Amino acid sequence: MDSLPENLKQPMIDLLLAVADDKLMLGHRNSDWTGLGPILEEDIAFSSLAQDEIAHAQVIYELLSPLVDKTADELAYGRSVDQYRCAQIVELPDNFDWAVAIARQFFCDHFDRLRLRALSHSSYKPLADVASRLAAEEQVHVDHVDAWIVRLGRGNDESKRRLQTALDQLSPMAPMLFEPVDREAELTGAGLYPQAETDMFHAWRDVLQHVAHEGGLALELSPPNAGAQGGRRGHHSEHLKSLLDEMCEVYRLEPGVAW
Amino acid sequence: MSGSSNVGMHIDHNVQEDPEKLAEFEAKIDAGQLIEPDDWLPQAYRTGMLKMAEHHANSEIIGALPEGEWITRAPSLRRKLALTAKVQDEVGHGQMLYRVSQDLGKTRDQMLRDLITGVTKYHNVFNYPAPTWGDIAMIQWLIDGAAIMNQKSLADGAYGPYVRTMKRINMEEAFHFKCGEDMVLTLMSGTAQQRVLGQDAFDRWWYPSLMFFGPPDKPNCRNLPPMRWRMKTVTNDDLRQRFINRFVPAAKDLGLKIHVVKKSDDGMVIEKQLDPNLHYDESTENWTVTDPDWEEFYRVIRGGGPCNKQRLGLRRFSYEQGRWVRIAIMNGRAGLPPAA
Repeated sequence: MDSLPENLKQPMIDLLLAVADDKLMLGHRNSDWTGLGPILEEDIAFSSLAQDEIAHAQVIYELLSPLVDKTADELAYGRSVDQYRCAQIVELPDNFDWAVAIARQFFCDHFDRLRLRALSHSSYKPLADVASRLAAEEQVHVDHVDAWIVRLGRGNDESKRRLQTALDQLSPMAPMLFEPVDREAELTGAGLYPQAETDMFHAWRDVLQHVAHEGGLALELSPPNAGAQGGRRGHHSEHLKSLLDEMCEVYRLEPGVAW
Repeated sequence: MSGSSNVGMHIDHNVQEDPEKLAEFEAKIDAGQLIEPDDWLPQAYRTGMLKMAEHHANSEIIGALPEGEWITRAPSLRRKLALTAKVQDEVGHGQMLYRVSQDLGKTRDQMLRDLITGVTKYHNVFNYPAPTWGDIAMIQWLIDGAAIMNQKSLADGAYGPYVRTMKRINMEEAFHFKCGEDMVLTLMSGTAQQRVLGQDAFDRWWYPSLMFFGPPDKPNCRNLPPMRWRMKTVTNDDLRQRFINRFVPAAKDLGLKIHVVKKSDDGMVIEKQLDPNLHYDESTENWTVTDPDWEEFYRVIRGGGPCNKQRLGLRRFSYEQGRWVRIAIMNGRAGLPPAA
């Protein structure tokens, strides 16, 4: 189908916001590393990943634009904190700790790849088309971050210890990436977001554990508690507010003007 | 983004070179041929080229910092993407130029350490502050514009690896310049507040951009090794005049006013007046402006600029934060501890 049933518009808006907001915040965090990466070659690579995420967010906001009658920039910059639908893990600052940045990327990129693959089979054709294109790029991200997990895990005692600490720090919050948006089940029922939620979580956990084990690292992940409320329902960490205050500093000088 | 015109070239002229080989080398240069790293090189040429390429590389990665700070604050998705890509390019230029320098005999880690410990320098222009989004527009327009002029002249030089790198860098810089021009145009055709942001930033960057090309020419500069050996091909003053001739009319067209300014120690403008010396000389077809304050130039080079400490501090932070990563994945080769 090329247009959405009226009664499913709102959950679809929330779902698309979740996808785009995850990508924007992750891209924003990663873009901050440009010029400060641990190795020049990786500085350049990581910046490309950041640009991909921001560009993906832009594409999804543009898809949303006619549904909410707002421009992509208004969606990215012009909402209040509780109107964002990103998971809390993408809000987390890394304080330029490469292990935290890589661990965050690891959880998020694998999730994003699975989600985009599911969306590429959506019965809503404009979304399916976009998702299949983005999924191909996300695969490159996954390959890149997996290589880092293995290299740091096998690198030396210090790199293994640092990465293990970061994985342990993030693994309790990472499964909340799977928190459904409001009325998500209806989207799934209508073939708009074709995914078996449990299967997707298991696929995610299995691949993360496989890669972590290859790097000699331990990783435990449990499904999110049913009914737990997080970013997909507008409940955010305190980090999102400071992130948005920084991101929107210039935009808010005069919202709506061209920059 | 930056050229190397104000790099010091302290060359040891006491090294006795084989006169036959030296004559052969200079004949090649005079014939317009490119010099390659495997060729016989006078010691002073190798040292000078290394200093120049290393200084240029340092400038690229320090140059990434003032603009990098604004990536997280860029006011639209399009600008955010463009600025991230732009700063990424600068890091890429640094990487290419460190490779050129590595071939001339210095390890990358040694160069990064010499940079953060102040043994080597980077371009002076990055010691000025970028307090608003307007500064980001002006840096991309004025400083990248100046860099293109300088680097085009360097691309006519004689050292093959450096020349090829300059050609590649210049293609990317042309995009940066276009982007900067668009940002300045957007500000200057925008709201009253945006035009003030643009003018204020222009006032902060006009003189640093004139100083970008280095100090006034020495009378004999054309006969000194940098130009005799075509490490440089155009003098500082000639490049500066080209810049003035290109940018004075462009600034006027955009509604920008050219001011003589007085700045506080933190680089902010505290007094300004319209440049009383601004005029077009029909006979020479040159624009004339008030000269930069060269005392300020030398003070900033010696470390007394508004942002010297901040830039080097951030670079050092990044070096130290990344050290365990380099040790882990490069088997310690690049993980030498920073000098005390």
